[in-house]
Amino acid sequence: LSHVLHDIEKQIVKALQSEPNLTEEQLVQKTKLSMDQIRRGVEWLRQKKLADVSETIKISSSLGKNGLDSLKNGLPERRLVNLVKDGPKTFDEIRSSLQGPDFNAAIGHAKKNSWINIEKTDAGSKISRNKQKDQYGLTFGGSENADEGTIKFIGEEKKDKAYLTGDMLESLPSLMERPDFIIEHEEKIKTVSLSETGKNIDLEKLDSGAIDVEADVPHVHAARIHPLKDTINEIRDTFVHLGFTEITGDLSQSSFWNFDALFTPQDHPARELQDTFYLKGLNAKQLATPTQIKNVSSAHKKGWRYYWDIQEAKKMVLRTHTTCVTIKHLADKKPDEARIFSLGRVFRNEKLSFKHLAEFNQVEGIVVGKHITLRDLMGIQKEFYRKIGLTKVKFWPTFFPYTEPSLQSMVYNEKLGKWIELFGMGIFRPEVTKPLGITKPVLAWGGGIERIAMLKFGLDDVREFYNNNLSWLRTATKCQ
Amino acid sequence: MPVVELNISRLQKLVGKNTNKKQILDRLPFLGLDIESLGRNTVRVEYSPNRPDYSTDFGIALGLQGILGINKGMLRLNVRNQGNYEIRVDSSTSKIRPFVTGIIARNGSLDDEAVKQIINMQEDLHVGLGRKRKKLSIGIHDLDNISFPLKYTTTSRDHRFVPLNSTKESSISEILRDSEVGRDYGSILGQSPKVPLITDAKGQTISFPPIINAALTTVTTKTKNLLVEVTGIDKQSAEDMLSIVVTILQGAGFQFSQLKVSGSKNSTPNFTPRSITFDVDPVNKILGLNISGSMLVSCLKKCRLDAVMKSKKIQCTIPRYRFDIFGGMDIVEEVALGYGIENLKPAWPASAHIGEKNATSEKLDSISRLMTGFGFMEALNSTLTSEQILYEMTNRESSQIISVTSSKSQEHTILRDSILPGLLENLSKNIHETYPQKFFESGIVFSTGSPIKETASLACVTASEETHFSEMKAVLQSLLRIGFNTKCETKTLSNHALFSQGRVAEIVVSGKAVGYIGELDSKVLENFRIRTRVVGFEIKLSGLIFD
Repeated sequence: LSHVLHDIEKQIVKALQSEPNLTEEQLVQKTKLSMDQIRRGVEWLRQKKLADVSETIKISSSLGKNGLDSLKNGLPERRLVNLVKDGPKTFDEIRSSLQGPDFNAAIGHAKKNSWINIEKTDAGSKISRNKQKDQYGLTFGGSENADEGTIKFIGEEKKDKAYLTGDMLESLPSLMERPDFIIEHEEKIKTVSLSETGKNIDLEKLDSGAIDVEADVPHVHAARIHPLKDTINEIRDTFVHLGFTEITGDLSQSSFWNFDALFTPQDHPARELQDTFYLKGLNAKQLATPTQIKNVSSAHKKGWRYYWDIQEAKKMVLRTHTTCVTIKHLADKKPDEARIFSLGRVFRNEKLSFKHLAEFNQVEGIVVGKHITLRDLMGIQKEFYRKIGLTKVKFWPTFFPYTEPSLQSMVYNEKLGKWIELFGMGIFRPEVTKPLGITKPVLAWGGGIERIAMLKFGLDDVREFYNNNLSWLRTATKCQ
Repeated sequence: MPVVELNISRLQKLVGKNTNKKQILDRLPFLGLDIESLGRNTVRVEYSPNRPDYSTDFGIALGLQGILGINKGMLRLNVRNQGNYEIRVDSSTSKIRPFVTGIIARNGSLDDEAVKQIINMQEDLHVGLGRKRKKLSIGIHDLDNISFPLKYTTTSRDHRFVPLNSTKESSISEILRDSEVGRDYGSILGQSPKVPLITDAKGQTISFPPIINAALTTVTTKTKNLLVEVTGIDKQSAEDMLSIVVTILQGAGFQFSQLKVSGSKNSTPNFTPRSITFDVDPVNKILGLNISGSMLVSCLKKCRLDAVMKSKKIQCTIPRYRFDIFGGMDIVEEVALGYGIENLKPAWPASAHIGEKNATSEKLDSISRLMTGFGFMEALNSTLTSEQILYEMTNRESSQIISVTSSKSQEHTILRDSILPGLLENLSKNIHETYPQKFFESGIVFSTGSPIKETASLACVTASEETHFSEMKAVLQSLLRIGFNTKCETKTLSNHALFSQGRVAEIVVSGKAVGYIGELDSKVLENFRIRTRVVGFEIKLSGLIFD
């Protein structure tokens, strides 16, 4: 049987082969290794059954507040009896000159030691020294008793803490009863010894170059891109692979681009405070071109028959979707052919829950083209899902205020064994495109990203993405 | 999205032709109705707000009959001009709620389930089309307790009548003050001293729109004949809403007589269908199909529309209640639904487009990769955060807060102007995890501008017993050098709320201050309950490495 020992282990074994029982502290002194190295080395040896560790508890004592006072000025009973050395005194006289220590405790202990007598006289109780005791030459006067000896030992000779033995250990219980005299400390002492196998290891003969390749090692934590960011990056890459070019825009937007340009009437429930975050007291300075404003305004008047208020359109909101970015891009550039996408944070005034956040990520792709069809949009989306590993896809009709026709895609989740609603899609309504001078069909598709990331990372609480909980970040599987 | 609960066996009966449960459940999603939950004999479905006709099982049965091929084509409303039912509008209503319309529905019967469905419809119409009764509201009354002609007028707030669900008379003011509906909707009437009222020929109060009906006309399961009235601020929308109710009540077996409406720009409602004529080719083109005109006609009929071929064009007739159909693209959707979404096969369009990432996204990605290379974990925090984290716990001055109105969450009330406080909050939540801990985050911060300025920033922190200023400065310098071939200096800063005095510097690039670096102040750390040393920096990226 050959053993592969780490250099630390070898030094510990060597020390123990010359002296069979050593505490960890003694090992530190003998080997000059650090306490941490000794502890690790001993643990390795223990696992290899080369060393045994026995634990003993060692109790040490130090002086408390009253103990320190007694060390300096004597025990209360000693101070009491010193006061009556030259003749009896009344309680009041003693109480006034005793200062500090507890009068009752001093009397109690002095009586227990039979150092004093208490006589009742007409002028009240008087304390006098016990002459009888004195006569027998015991304890009174000069020599110290056991309690005093113990306090002196702990306090003067051993400063911080003392390990008590013999007589002193016997006097300890009575001192322990007195508050704040003695503080006890418990300490675990680990004594290391070698097992029979350990004793027989010939350190000289061990292969010095080999290491224990089977030994357990500690976990190391990789610094990493946030898991949600991984999904965002994967989706961004997938859009790029499908021929889409990324556009970006501000998180704060005028209501005009977030709502009005998308044919959302100004009294629509989605525009209410309870669904949308409005920025307190902020209005857009520049809204759009005069033509854009005029045309959007008349589309609203014609389609929804109400007074369209430009002040309402100026109110700044935190964007509720990325569509405001794409529609502005289309209105400004008016491309005949395009594949573009926009990805980023969007906001909803939601109560937070396991499935709702107030701020989350959304992606939206746009295809513009003379000959583009609804079936093409379904195909692009199917290909997108295939690229991110979702192969079973179906489509249902749905409703979005600014697209017609509108579909939603359902993907089958193998882990959960059910169909899950993912991205929505549709063709921008002519009521949206025409006023902005966009003449070619615009096909849009997109949705929330956290939902996809939840499927990938097997989470059932969307808030986990924003908790930045290290125990999760350090362990979530990167390649899903 | 609104939700309606359906009794499945009742729905089977309404659809007819021995339709089974499976057929119904299979087809519901293809009408755009999402199944929210399924019971033994009930199903709850979400319907789109543009299809209020789906707010009852009567309306959903109409749709199912079409898509299952049991009954196709348009439902013809049977409104006769018989009897002498009239409502006259007083001009005093024009300032407060100018329009009223209505219909007489006769010889029907309503069982408990039908009453439940109609109440659900009424609620949903009030919330959606009615914009919480502000724009429109409906009243449904027992016709047999009413004498014609009616009058739509206004009255003072002292006017008294017995409101629905009550046995004693109350004044308008009392109703607005004491009843739940009064408190919920009273604000619609503003401070106007006069409020709308419908009274009958005997002078009895019928309704106090948009708040409450009178008890006099309470509808029960014994009611056979109804008066339906809609009041509101837009005439066409009021007739839209009425057309939904008429369609549903026809499904429930009622026959209709006209309610003549006159006075102050009001007129008798018109339920005549509209026609749209269009070419076959553009429809095929946008759907990516090649179906014949007659097939297209059949698709539209499955969606309960009428359609005929006229030479090479198709004329589509749209019933009054389908006011969600604006024009050609809406017809395209109807064709797709009639054709069956499941029959549309995904295609792959050839494209010469070359995809590209946004340059800023690319640079932020590079920074993330470098920072993880330096051993920092990426954190993600909301840009919408709280005053507590951003200012109170960091002892920073809060002079230019940008806040949102009426947030439902206390943690999300103001926009961040700095990323570092969020990272300290992250460290604070991780004090039980092993150290060292290193976080970075890049993202948008906000400042007041014209009206608001958004810039990208990067912040990072290291928390451990051994960390110190120079460790962080080394990371900062390497990042800028390796990432962007940029040099930076750190200039002594006399003080900064986040950092300890004497251990904080301004980050300067080409003579311009772009951020802060330093050891975090012990009081700040105490606020976050962090019991170790923390060093960190925050630097503006916009204007430094991208625009």
